[in-house]
Amino acid sequence: MTPEVLLSILQGLPTTLVLTAGALALGALGGIPLVLLRRSPVALIRLPVRLLIEVLRGIPPIVWLFLIFFGLPSLGVRLGPLTAGILGMGAISAAYLAEIYRGGLAAVNQGQYEASMALGMSTPDMMSRIVGPQVVRVSVPAVATYGIGLLKDSSIAFTIGVNEMLYFASSESRATTDAIGPFLTVAAVYILLSVLSAWGARTLNARLRRRVAR
Amino acid sequence: MTVLSEWGTYFPQLLQGLLVSLRLAAISLGVGIPIGLALAIANGSGGRVVRSVAVVLVEIGRGMPALVMLQLVYFGLPSLGVSFASFTAAALGLTLTTAAYTSEIIRGGLQSVPAGEVEAAEALNMSRFDTLRFIVIPQGMRVAVPSLMGFSILIFQGTALAYTIALPELLATAYSIGSSTFRYLSVLTLAGFMYVAITVPMSMLTERVELRLSRHL
Amino acid sequence: MEPHPVIDVQSLRKQYGEHVVLDDVTLQVAEGEVAAVIGPSGAGKSTMLRCLNLLEKPDGGRFRVQDTTIDASAPIRPKDVKQLRRSLGMVFQSFNLFPHLTVLRNVALPQERVLGRSRAEAEARGMELLERVGLADKPAQYPSRCSGGQQQRIAIARALALDPEVMLFDEPTSSLDPELGLEVLAVMRELATEGMTMVVVTHEMQFARDVSDHLIVMAHGGIIEQGKPEQIFSDPHHARTRRFLRAVLDR
Repeated sequence: MTPEVLLSILQGLPTTLVLTAGALALGALGGIPLVLLRRSPVALIRLPVRLLIEVLRGIPPIVWLFLIFFGLPSLGVRLGPLTAGILGMGAISAAYLAEIYRGGLAAVNQGQYEASMALGMSTPDMMSRIVGPQVVRVSVPAVATYGIGLLKDSSIAFTIGVNEMLYFASSESRATTDAIGPFLTVAAVYILLSVLSAWGARTLNARLRRRVAR
Repeated sequence: MTVLSEWGTYFPQLLQGLLVSLRLAAISLGVGIPIGLALAIANGSGGRVVRSVAVVLVEIGRGMPALVMLQLVYFGLPSLGVSFASFTAAALGLTLTTAAYTSEIIRGGLQSVPAGEVEAAEALNMSRFDTLRFIVIPQGMRVAVPSLMGFSILIFQGTALAYTIALPELLATAYSIGSSTFRYLSVLTLAGFMYVAITVPMSMLTERVELRLSRHL
Repeated sequence: MEPHPVIDVQSLRKQYGEHVVLDDVTLQVAEGEVAAVIGPSGAGKSTMLRCLNLLEKPDGGRFRVQDTTIDASAPIRPKDVKQLRRSLGMVFQSFNLFPHLTVLRNVALPQERVLGRSRAEAEARGMELLERVGLADKPAQYPSRCSGGQQQRIAIARALALDPEVMLFDEPTSSLDPELGLEVLAVMRELATEGMTMVVVTHEMQFARDVSDHLIVMAHGGIIEQGKPEQIFSDPHHARTRRFLRAVLDR
């Protein structure tokens, strides 16, 4: 393990972070329509969306990335590796986060809906101003845990040539006689990042809890 | 050639790959979960040294992406003079990941056993080992079952990572068909369906088990 | 006092950090005696009982149960803990049955593991005791299918199955409806008439007055009064005792 190897691997850190943040943002937004449609009273909407969520979660992430990166070009859609990575991981995240939101929605007291309706609020108002914030609040720990998992899963994008951290570790490993050092280094960086983000998530959660006393 | 007849020709090969994936998942879980249980017990009732070692191992195992683990075992270890065939390397990597993650799941299960029962066993003069064996583990594992099933689905999906270390599992088989036929989309879609054919029924089963267990508690 | 009591507690002390929960507790229980421990909540009654079988480790004083002496100032040997608990049966407020085992297995498993009895032997003894507590029809049920009163009687059978010389009861009826508490008290009464040595922490004044031979009144971590129950109930010496008895009896 040498400083040069560490520096080389850290070249990939911005990409790892962009990939993780991009996919998480995409998932956080995409999860909202998914969960709303998933709860639709109309079976013709609800069931296909449920199937979509199951399929998104049921196929391994690496297979999704291959489908997007190697498969879509035959339909004339050519994406760069990073775009393909963000889209693929983002779509999977949307499905997982939709399920997390669903749990959050279930946790909102029925009385909140009744009170909003009794006050004559419109459904969009009720969802965005009353229910939504409470769902966000209870979902934060699960979303944070998912985000930390995503940070580690982003390494999968290495397989379609995204130059994130593992990409550099792998090429360092092949270029030098020290085959194991780069992998140990990148592992240490990942472990450090997940410990740091777990700590960050706990702090964020504690702060939210103080603001919204429940 | 229609997609269906195309799939018909790919299917036998992909099925071979799927069997490799399933075998890999079964071995990783079969060896990893008992290690996870041991780590959970060490973490919950070992002495200070044992506990610290267990905590560090679990944090490393969980902090490290499974893909990095596989790369490290397959490409890294040979430089220390230890080389494994790709199946062994994949099994080793996924086993370690399984052990680390399931130890946390199982620890949660063991902790859910009420302290009063442990105290009762103590008052009845049962040894700590007997208390674990007959009281804590049977109940704690039961609580952990749905989460362990959920994790098993993830490990089965994780077998696809072994593509990167040249193991002819389902994804690698699909990719190699794709690279010789250039029908990537078609063959990868079929592979995707084959993954779904395992994971979706598994996740439905998990949901049912979870419901059943929660009804009985 | 008897010349050689079964339980002999000298100056027992227990504290959590700065907070002293037991202070200078001294008492004796003779063979065949039923000692009832009463007092307001937070008096240290349960802590005292739990110190006796070392579910809590005392910080000062010493005590003896049969031939086992525990001295809080010396390290406690595992061998002594085993020997101590061998002669003590314990019944908890919250029953603490093992929910994943049937009623009969609850009673039989500890016998097999602790006394090395065979399964057949342990289950035969278990059935005998279930019959004695009036639950001969329940062996194959799971505890969750039994009422609270039944669960507590099973817990009593489970403790008796290990042939203890003394039974400790920690508020055995406090989490039960009054009616279900009665069936538990009936079993305890019967045990008392059969000559079992018992220490009972309780809020049941009727039981304390009618069944016990020795009444111990605790408050603020100490014993404020002890002696014959009829004497204490009719003419308490201590003002704190009087206040407590008035509060519980005038309800």
